Amino acid sequence: MNILKLALRGLTRNRRRSMVTLLSIALGFAAITLFAGYTHNVYSGLVRQSIHGELLGHLSLSKQGMKTEGKLDPERYLLSQLEVKNITRLLSDEPHVKLIAPRLGFSGLMSNGRASTIFIAEGIEPSAMDRLQQGLLVGRETSSGLYDNLKKKLDPAHPEIVELSSGLVELLHLKVSGQAAVLVNTLSGQANALDITVGHTFNTGNAGSNDKFAFVPLALAQSLLDAEGRADRLTILLDEVSQTATMRTHLGEKLRAAGFDIEIQTWQELSDFYNQVHDMFDMIFGFIFCIVLTVIVMSVANSMGMTVVERTREIGTLRAIGLKRSGVIRLFTMESMLLTLAGCIAGLLIALAVRWGINVANIAYTPPNSASPVPLLVDLDVGRSAFTFVLMVVVGTTAAFLPARRAAKKDIIDALGHV
Amino acid sequence: MNDQIHRAPILKLRNIRRRFMLGETSIEALQGLSLDIHEGEFLAVWGPSGSGKSTLMNIIGLIDTPTAGEVCFDGQDTHLLVDDELTDFRGHKIGFVFQNFNLVPVLSALENVMLPLQIQGVADHQASVRAATALLDVGLGRFQHSLPDKLSGGQRQRVAIARALVVNPKLVIADEPTANLDSENSRMIIDLMREMNRTRHVTFVFTTHDPRLLDHVDRKILLRDGQIETDEVSK
Repeated sequence: MNILKLALRGLTRNRRRSMVTLLSIALGFAAITLFAGYTHNVYSGLVRQSIHGELLGHLSLSKQGMKTEGKLDPERYLLSQLEVKNITRLLSDEPHVKLIAPRLGFSGLMSNGRASTIFIAEGIEPSAMDRLQQGLLVGRETSSGLYDNLKKKLDPAHPEIVELSSGLVELLHLKVSGQAAVLVNTLSGQANALDITVGHTFNTGNAGSNDKFAFVPLALAQSLLDAEGRADRLTILLDEVSQTATMRTHLGEKLRAAGFDIEIQTWQELSDFYNQVHDMFDMIFGFIFCIVLTVIVMSVANSMGMTVVERTREIGTLRAIGLKRSGVIRLFTMESMLLTLAGCIAGLLIALAVRWGINVANIAYTPPNSASPVPLLVDLDVGRSAFTFVLMVVVGTTAAFLPARRAAKKDIIDALGHV
Repeated sequence: MNDQIHRAPILKLRNIRRRFMLGETSIEALQGLSLDIHEGEFLAVWGPSGSGKSTLMNIIGLIDTPTAGEVCFDGQDTHLLVDDELTDFRGHKIGFVFQNFNLVPVLSALENVMLPLQIQGVADHQASVRAATALLDVGLGRFQHSLPDKLSGGQRQRVAIARALVVNPKLVIADEPTANLDSENSRMIIDLMREMNRTRHVTFVFTTHDPRLLDHVDRKILLRDGQIETDEVSK
């Protein structure tokens, strides 16, 4: 029998009920798709923020033990000038490696002459900073203007000019092109002070660090720490984020084979914030997904239950003229599948329309722990939307199974006599 | 007709009993009934309400099983068949005409008639051709694409007859086929069934309350209290 045709026509019998069920499926699917798209945008933004904004690169290479013991004994765990040179030479012919940037982190006190505060600084070559920041913003983010203050820039011609976070500048009442003094300990423990000039200011994007962070030219950092040519790590930028895990293994093996006792961490391991946000949104997504799925199951089961009752006599007739029990189950589950399918397609169209509306509305909001507003943008998460689509159709079809089985088990005579 | 009843019966009922429970009361609708129905017969079962007519039709139509007794249809002992086999058997050998027509309201007349063929797995095109022919046979060639609610009661019942005949069944069961029709349509339906019986040699068994229709049959069985009171063959 042409079950498909019969099922399609069946859906038109009680149009209002079919529409209500279809609408509940559509809105549920649209809600999931939009939230998945929003989180997708947040995730991809955070990935770019971590790799290009926080200048973590894709991989971070340091001496074995640097992470746990480096603060206590920096002299021992810093990479020497020769090691930096040899590692850079060894990795520079790797096709996926775009940049190897020596880095030197330190902390100390910064003073405006009247008051001082602690600061954390990263030494990096100005050209490497530029290169790392390429790819930070995409699409509407570039034109929104909301991220302009995240950009950092060091002047290679003037190593005394540093980039300070906007909160730190405010805290010390500093001005662009104004002077400040920094006091740090050298590797040997000696106090070392230098005057610096405030270059640009930037926003770390994080309220916790925006009042204490600074970027300085690598040469200045090495000079302050009395660590000429040395680095605490090498930041490696790859051509694609998807290469991160593969290249970590490959580069690690290559360097260990060359006699370097190093460890390599990925940007994901270094970015706690990304992991926390990812976990939180995954949890919320799962929660919403379960609620929507439950609503859909109840809606479809209820709709099909009523359909079965209304069409009891027809079921009896079909059984009498030769339709097997399995055929009755197929008929009603097919109806449910078509209904869910149509609901998901309608939901996808709704999601696309709402997504377009949100993206052109230029809505901005300030996320928790953020120092500045960000635009509300929704992507189309094809993977999760497709997964939701398939799962909803399967679940919607399965939800009709019990009413369909009940229909198939009906006694033919009772069904024919149903009023 | 007499030569027909001398043929081997297509349906043999032996000592059929059918008991129902109504609350805690047991009701025996059929009480040890035996009956042979032969190919080509045009047979009416009549009797007062509660005499067991519908129960008998359900058992003949293999949509009910007796509490006791044997049903042998076209040489097949039907109690040996499992549900799916019985459904297949019924679909191929028996056509049904119901009192309320029981057409699928969202399917056209043609699609309704195609339905039993499609259930059997006949290809759509072939089913369509056969269904169209069946509708022509019952005089509804012009109404192929009409939905049931656009047809009169008599026309709907004709569609139901076409649906019953389209599978070339051995037997057509019609339970009160004229109960919802006026006298003119009732006569037309009985005439149509009679014509199909004569031209296509399809066996018809139907129940009726209308004594006027009994003049048109070859054989009439009067049921009373679940037993055959008279079994008359027309001369």
